[in-house]
Amino acid sequence: MSPSNIVTIRELSKEYRQGEIDVVALNNISLDIAQGEFLTLMGPSGSGKSTLLHIIAGIDRPTKGICRVQDIDVTKLNESGLADWRNQNVGFVFQTFNLIPVLTAFENVELPLLLTRLSAKRRREQVKTALELVGLADRSKHLPRQLSGGQEQRVAIARALVTDPKLIVADEPTGNLDSSSAQEALSILQLLSKQIGKTVIMVTHDPKAAAFGSRSIHLEKGELTN
Amino acid sequence: MTIAGFIARNALRNKRRFLLSVSSVAVSLFLLVTLQVALRELTNPINDEGSTLRIIVRNKVSLAQPLPARQLPTIERIPGVAAITPFSYYGGLYKGDEKFTSFAQFAVDPVRALDLLSDAKVPPEQLKAWIADRTSAIVGKMTADRYKLKIGDRMPFTGQIYPCDLEFKIAGIYEGTADDRNVMFHQKYLDESLGNPGTVGTWWVKASSVEEAPLITERINKAFANTSAEVRAETERAFQLGFVSMWANIKILIGGISMVVVFALLLVTVSTMSMAIRERFRELAVLKALGFRRRELFAFILAESFGLATLGAFFGAGGAWLLYRSLDMPKLTSGMFVVFEVTPQMLALAFTIAAVLGLLSAIAPMIGVARTSVVQGLKTLD
Ligand SMILES: Nc1ncnc2c1ncn2[C@@H]1O[C@H](COP(=O)(O)OP(=O)(O)OP(=O)(O)O)[C@@H](O)[C@H]1O
Ligand SMILES: [Mg+2]
Repeated sequence: MSPSNIVTIRELSKEYRQGEIDVVALNNISLDIAQGEFLTLMGPSGSGKSTLLHIIAGIDRPTKGICRVQDIDVTKLNESGLADWRNQNVGFVFQTFNLIPVLTAFENVELPLLLTRLSAKRRREQVKTALELVGLADRSKHLPRQLSGGQEQRVAIARALVTDPKLIVADEPTGNLDSSSAQEALSILQLLSKQIGKTVIMVTHDPKAAAFGSRSIHLEKGELTN
Repeated sequence: MTIAGFIARNALRNKRRFLLSVSSVAVSLFLLVTLQVALRELTNPINDEGSTLRIIVRNKVSLAQPLPARQLPTIERIPGVAAITPFSYYGGLYKGDEKFTSFAQFAVDPVRALDLLSDAKVPPEQLKAWIADRTSAIVGKMTADRYKLKIGDRMPFTGQIYPCDLEFKIAGIYEGTADDRNVMFHQKYLDESLGNPGTVGTWWVKASSVEEAPLITERINKAFANTSAEVRAETERAFQLGFVSMWANIKILIGGISMVVVFALLLVTVSTMSMAIRERFRELAVLKALGFRRRELFAFILAESFGLATLGAFFGAGGAWLLYRSLDMPKLTSGMFVVFEVTPQMLALAFTIAAVLGLLSAIAPMIGVARTSVVQGLKTLD
């Protein structure tokens, strides 16, 4: 395990019990992800891409195996420890944006910062920087419904990076976007990994989207096939 | 943005639903407080010191049966009796009233009654005038104010119980009793109008001490045992409570209605909160993913349901308090309700109920949120 690896996964499995049958979502996966990588996860539907992403991001737990992010085994943290860890280390981008509809773009981006000890002034600065980075500084007062899908997703990316996390995870972030909006979103993710050194892990079906990444891995029936 | 701002924004996201829920809490608690006020008014007998000293002697058969006037010297001789006067409820309909006159008229012996009316303040010259003129009466200040009566005015009544109409000249206006509404006139005047039947409605007796009052009532009862007019003597307080027991069923009824109101209210708040949280399950999962802990989400839910319920209580109970303070209840209800006051205890009750409602309606959503993992929550559809 080299020190530049941010994520270390060893013999990771996830099974679901469905009555009598065991569904194997992930089967004995071992994977290293380096700092600053833009990793894309591909594979057919049901192959376990989301499951793997969720475990790395600390919102799901494996049945067995190790998933270490930096020096912390996230599978060993308890509920609230994991929540704190996510707040500080992971930024989420979802397929359906998942902005809070009653909050403005600015407030949506500010949301994860409410859990930190930052002063209101410092929070405002960070939100501004994040919105500028995604090119939406002029839309900060807009509500999600007053934004286009592409703009919404860029706000979501700003929300994901506002806490300055090490990892940004994205589950089919372009799935609901037209191709030009998708290009914009992907360029931003690429920029984050290339120029700011964030580690980005993205699930996608689209080979064109995967082309933005620095490395691509394939999952098939819960196993890596490279 | 602050956490409080975030909670408020969430609560107000469906403004119409929020408004309707707050209104239904407000209206229900308004009703509840009103019921409590009415209940208190109906069941709280006027409780002044004199009422434990005063004894009412009535016919054992019923209150409607008169007593022979010749009983007076017998009662007067009973040890412990400090004063006695005839006390006959005339129950006339005052000119201008349609069906019901809201104040009582009692025939008394003015000179004897003075001892029993010790808390009534009447200027001495008015008292003198009353004693001197057998067709005159003294009137309680509340009644005088209500009908804009002054000394020298005439008050005509139509007899409803006694077959005689009477007209009194107002000799004085008194105040300072627990209920300044009654009209007091001469028993002699009533007797004459009825052709001197030699009867009185009841006797009004003053005991020499509070401790002795129960003994005296017993002595009076014994004195007329096995006569043609057996009596029942009881302290005024007991007499009032006897009336009050009539209201016992009403009390149960009002209590029952109050419970139903609270229960219906519970259903409203529980369903509102369940709906409000259910449609936000996905967002709550997103908040969890962003690092909000379970207990923070619990706090959001509790704050929202508490806020809704207490806001309702604020408008409902507070509204009742303001309204009944500013309304002239005696006038509006023709004297049926006099005090009609929202007490601090009633406000406390309303807010306690609101707090409990807030808590109870947060339970189901909190369980739902606790049970749902981030991944499950993210999968729920909007
Ligand atoms: N809660 C669950 N209970 C049972 N089985 C589950 C559950 N969640 C996922 N699975 C199963 O785990 C497997 C992997 O699911 P996952 O969502 O990771 O697939 P995916 O690769 O993300 O697919 P897609 O591209 O369609 O999103 C699937 O076979 C799915 O049926
Ligand atoms: Mg998936």
